[in-house]
Amino acid sequence: MTTSRPHAASLVSKSAMVGYLPLVIFVALLGYLSIASSNFLTPATFDLILRQAVPTIIICMGLSVVVMAGGDDVVSGGIDLSIPATAVLSAAIIAQQVTNQGTPLAAALVMALGAAVLVGAVNAILVVRIGMTPLLATLATSVAVVGIIKVVTSSRRINVNDPTIVWLRDGTIAGVSVSVVSTFLLFLILFFVAHRTRWGLNLQAVGGSREAAEVSGISARKFVAQSFIVASLTGGLAAMFVLARGSGSTPGTEENLLLEMVLATFLGAAFSPRRVVTLWGAVLGAVLVSALSIGFKSIGVNVFWTGCIKGALILVVVASASLSTRVASRGRAA
Amino acid sequence: MNMVANTGGAGLRSILVRYGFLIIIAAFFAFFALYTSSFLNGSNLLNIVEGSSILLILALGMTLVVALGGIDLSVGIAFDMGAAFAIVAMKEYELAWYVAVLIGIGGGALVGLLNAFLVVRLAVSPFLATLGTFFIGSSVQRVFTNGGGPISHRRVPTEYRNLAIGDVYGIPSEVIISAVVLIGYYVFLERSIFGKRIHAIGLQQSAAVVAGIKVRSYIAIGFVLAAATCAIGGIIGSANLRMFTPLAGFSYLLDAIAAVFIGASMHPRGRPNVPGTLVGVLFLGMVANGLNLMGLDFNTKDALSGLILVGALAIAVAQRKLR
Repeated sequence: MTTSRPHAASLVSKSAMVGYLPLVIFVALLGYLSIASSNFLTPATFDLILRQAVPTIIICMGLSVVVMAGGDDVVSGGIDLSIPATAVLSAAIIAQQVTNQGTPLAAALVMALGAAVLVGAVNAILVVRIGMTPLLATLATSVAVVGIIKVVTSSRRINVNDPTIVWLRDGTIAGVSVSVVSTFLLFLILFFVAHRTRWGLNLQAVGGSREAAEVSGISARKFVAQSFIVASLTGGLAAMFVLARGSGSTPGTEENLLLEMVLATFLGAAFSPRRVVTLWGAVLGAVLVSALSIGFKSIGVNVFWTGCIKGALILVVVASASLSTRVASRGRAA
Repeated sequence: MNMVANTGGAGLRSILVRYGFLIIIAAFFAFFALYTSSFLNGSNLLNIVEGSSILLILALGMTLVVALGGIDLSVGIAFDMGAAFAIVAMKEYELAWYVAVLIGIGGGALVGLLNAFLVVRLAVSPFLATLGTFFIGSSVQRVFTNGGGPISHRRVPTEYRNLAIGDVYGIPSEVIISAVVLIGYYVFLERSIFGKRIHAIGLQQSAAVVAGIKVRSYIAIGFVLAAATCAIGGIIGSANLRMFTPLAGFSYLLDAIAAVFIGASMHPRGRPNVPGTLVGVLFLGMVANGLNLMGLDFNTKDALSGLILVGALAIAVAQRKLR
């Protein structure tokens, strides 16, 4: 055993190196951007990055809760691909009600959250009751929700100039943008719930090992179902900031939101020491993704290339994660 | 065989388990037949078959990947690449139509090669690998068409155009091409030793490795073959419109997945299979056709077909679990 230890150690460090590859690439890209674009490293740009990231941050936190409850295996574990579509549906409902029907914003928000919860409940039923894999179930609901968005908006853009939405976009509290402050508050609440309450700890136990949780008397199905509801609620809340960012609802927003959500969440996992999806990681990932988008825009890269770069980054992140676990397990076997 | 073994106590239940989805198909069929006057016309039934042929080709590619235990979210990209490569080969390089068809299939196969590299060499899960391919492929199409403008080629050779709108003894050529692909896939997946090995890999990969099957080569070839098949669909689509429409393939993705899972729900052991996929495709084609005949507006139709899709998938999976 002792003779094989140096060999194993070198393999482990190799696996760690492969695992940090995405971070190295990201730091290199950001470094390049700050050199190439003179105004990239300014407080104004940083504020812009954070504000642009807000909808992604919020839905990433929702996705993290689902992954916490369902486990982090992409195929059989927890994932919710319908959060971006839910966010855009809620935004469409609010825009339609406020602009076209003259409903007060608060009432419109309640309706939007109700619709979001409905989507979450459908996901929960499909996954927990019927036994579909979360991937297939949420992909299907996402397509159905996009269809419903078309009915709500007649595939048209709807402007919103409600004072509260404008305040969410332009307002500041003590010099910090309102949207950033409220996202931070939401993060604190979710962090407290997930890490300091009985519900949150049970949720994480279910995701860690479903069998162990069931043996100790925790109903895994209940927590998985609730995680989908929480995720869709974050989608409903993100709708307010989707509206603020775009000054209204635009059909087709969900595709880019989905791309950023997946990239940010898996990138966030690369930050965590155990390579698991965490709230912190999701927030950090979303900010980094937003920084890249804005950075590329500021040095004049064709906006159509950014989708390609992000897609390639997703692949680099997940490939290095799976390669590093493969190297690590080979080390353990030796 | 299973049926005979099970009929002891729960006759009705086993009938529901095996044929539950067929009952739903029959119900939809009866509804459309009663609700719209033209649904049952012979020419409309032929419309359903013709309108389903491109989806059938993509769904067969998807069946292969799902039978291997994976999933392919980039079938739409392979579809688009098939159309783009073939149209550009004829428009810019003035190549003969059959060369263009081969180039189109090759262009689609490139997408499969990328997937195979990611899944087999880099050990990325098929879902994330093909999702990444999907994002990259969509972005590349936007870059080369300045945001998604179609590339039209009005003077395509007649032979190429006939791939979509021609007919042989009154049978539309789309139907003939998809029938050939269907028979090819049936023989390959359900009647050959390769198909047996593919199903073995999908059922339990580690056991297949132990049994001496070259799992990695099979998975790689499976992705390439599936993508090349989808490219055939793209070629037919481009022949029909005489243009390459960027991102057109995406609309087939969920339908193809749904068809495969509906088909799997009808298999005695819940496996994806070629005849089942055919039934799934015809069901979706029938629903799309029926909703059209009901004269709903475009957006409502989209929403309804999305909801029917979710319901159909849910029933298909629930039925498989009852077993």
